[in-house]
Amino acid sequence: MKSEWVLSKDHLSYWLRQLRNERELIGPLRDGGKDILFRTVDMLHEIVLECPSSLPSPKGFLFPQYEAMFSCRGLSLSDGSDGKREISDLRDRTRRVIFGVRSCDVSAVRLLDAFCLGKLRDPYYEERRRNTFLISLVCNNPDPTCFCLGLGTGPYLEEGFDIQMTDLGDRYFVQAGSPEAVRTVRAMNFFFRKPRKVDYEDQYEVFLSSKARFRKRINLEGPRQAILSGKVGDDFWQEVTDRCFECGGCSYSCPVCTCFTVTDRINPEGIERARLWDSCMFKGFTRMAGGVLPNEKRVQRTKRWYYHKLVHYPRTTGKFGCVGCGRCAVACPGKIDMARTATKIKGLALKEEVE
Amino acid sequence: MRTASGKRTKAENIYLPVSGRIEEIRKKTEDVSLFRVSTASPLRYTPGQFFMVSVWGAGEVPISTASLCEDDLFVEFCVRKAGTVTGAIHSLQEGDRLWLRGPYGNGFAVGRRANGDVLLVAGGIGIAPLRPIIQMFAKDGSAGSVTLLYGSKGPQDVVFMDEVQVWRSGGIDVILTVDRANCDWRGSAGLVTDLWHRARVDFSRATAYICGPEIMIKSVMRDLSLFGMPDERIITTLEAHMKCGVGKCGHCYSGPKYICTDGPVFSYKEIKEYSLLG
Repeated sequence: MKSEWVLSKDHLSYWLRQLRNERELIGPLRDGGKDILFRTVDMLHEIVLECPSSLPSPKGFLFPQYEAMFSCRGLSLSDGSDGKREISDLRDRTRRVIFGVRSCDVSAVRLLDAFCLGKLRDPYYEERRRNTFLISLVCNNPDPTCFCLGLGTGPYLEEGFDIQMTDLGDRYFVQAGSPEAVRTVRAMNFFFRKPRKVDYEDQYEVFLSSKARFRKRINLEGPRQAILSGKVGDDFWQEVTDRCFECGGCSYSCPVCTCFTVTDRINPEGIERARLWDSCMFKGFTRMAGGVLPNEKRVQRTKRWYYHKLVHYPRTTGKFGCVGCGRCAVACPGKIDMARTATKIKGLALKEEVE
Repeated sequence: MRTASGKRTKAENIYLPVSGRIEEIRKKTEDVSLFRVSTASPLRYTPGQFFMVSVWGAGEVPISTASLCEDDLFVEFCVRKAGTVTGAIHSLQEGDRLWLRGPYGNGFAVGRRANGDVLLVAGGIGIAPLRPIIQMFAKDGSAGSVTLLYGSKGPQDVVFMDEVQVWRSGGIDVILTVDRANCDWRGSAGLVTDLWHRARVDFSRATAYICGPEIMIKSVMRDLSLFGMPDERIITTLEAHMKCGVGKCGHCYSGPKYICTDGPVFSYKEIKEYSLLG
């Protein structure tokens, strides 16, 4: 049987309120500066669904900007007692439901799953992921910077979501993609009804119109092949690098980037070992003991970021390390972003062909 | 990923270090000491692997094993006082605790090669990861000749000066050189790459293990390759900034390889193929 339902918009807030009984409800909210951020929802009417993409992405609920890993109490450096008891593991076990996630961000979470839960499982990510339930919303109005269409990571998904909802005007088309999602809907089946023929037709039309609204049509396969065939030289990357302010905005806003640094903080209560987002765009990223920096030029850092996403990701996972969310285009003050760089590489390759 | 039942599993925490006890500290030079650490659980590691070593409140750093794993009871780390964490390690006393995770990395695939010579080239603290190999050959002997070319800054900076005699009596041809000699120094002066004529090695059939500063590794590899040593037998271990040691933090990501999980030991062939050294 198909796990599909229809939810009237009148019932949305009731349903969310029910979900909130068991989990912390996270949704897109507008802050004082009019930015869209994923935050804990206090007032349901404050959720904004017709808005540009959030910045930063909701990855912070699975991989926070600052996450305490361990606390270490009553341990002086020369303390001879057994230390195991005093170290506590600070894994976050809060159960959360994130409502209004975009399809690209759900696709990014799938990439994070593959990376963080691969051969060696990252315990902090794993715990948060296990306790997080994602309700994604099909993008009826993609932003001007969006290019998920070319990557198959949006504006709607065929699979890989928990619950996917499509706005049909007065109602939502609801699809459950995991056993837990089916259970979640069934537990409150009085809010939902079975879809009719007209619901399927409307959903199809919404998908069509959304696809037609994309301003950017980018295929990253072309740039990947141009790079592999050696058509993209260092002078190209130098041009890109010349515009880089080394702010790290691209990595921080990227829903796929996961580099982190670890730091020990000494508090009155003890020592806390925490991890923080880091960016490979920073000069100090590869600094070794005593401040020794490997012989590395700025252009190599730019290249590494793009190569990782465009060449190495496909080689190891079969997928690009980019979901086309377009946040790097919003974040970058130097107007460097994946879509623009891909377009430039395409132009470079074409020019070479003509010549 | 969610388990079918949504049940919480008590997964191991790959970032949790275990407590070790510093059994012995031997001061080797002005800023280098050798720490012998034991843990409650047995330790199994191979030459070329490393541990993430931490001092709570200072942080965690990757340090390669400097001892041969013989009875699983201890591991030795040769640490140069260079930064915050290594400085904190140097402030510890015998009996204090040092925290360990590991071992990590691939290590040297070292065996007694049937019909080949072995050439070891070390620069400064780079002797540390090669020490287990040297100890192995000094103890068990080797089919071919074993030569160690070891460069240091000055006579007082030769890290394992006290062990050189043991290595020599184990059949290893130890050639020492320093950048700046004094009147007591009886070895050579100059770079290790100036001493190729002293190494009694059949380059085309030998295997080389190299560790030292990046610039030294680069020139040694280039020279040996020119002498006809096959690229896959020119082997080095790379140093990189690491925060996790398990391929997650991204700091050692170099080309398509993570130094921590794909390395730190690489052959010249791999280094060229993946441009791991700039």
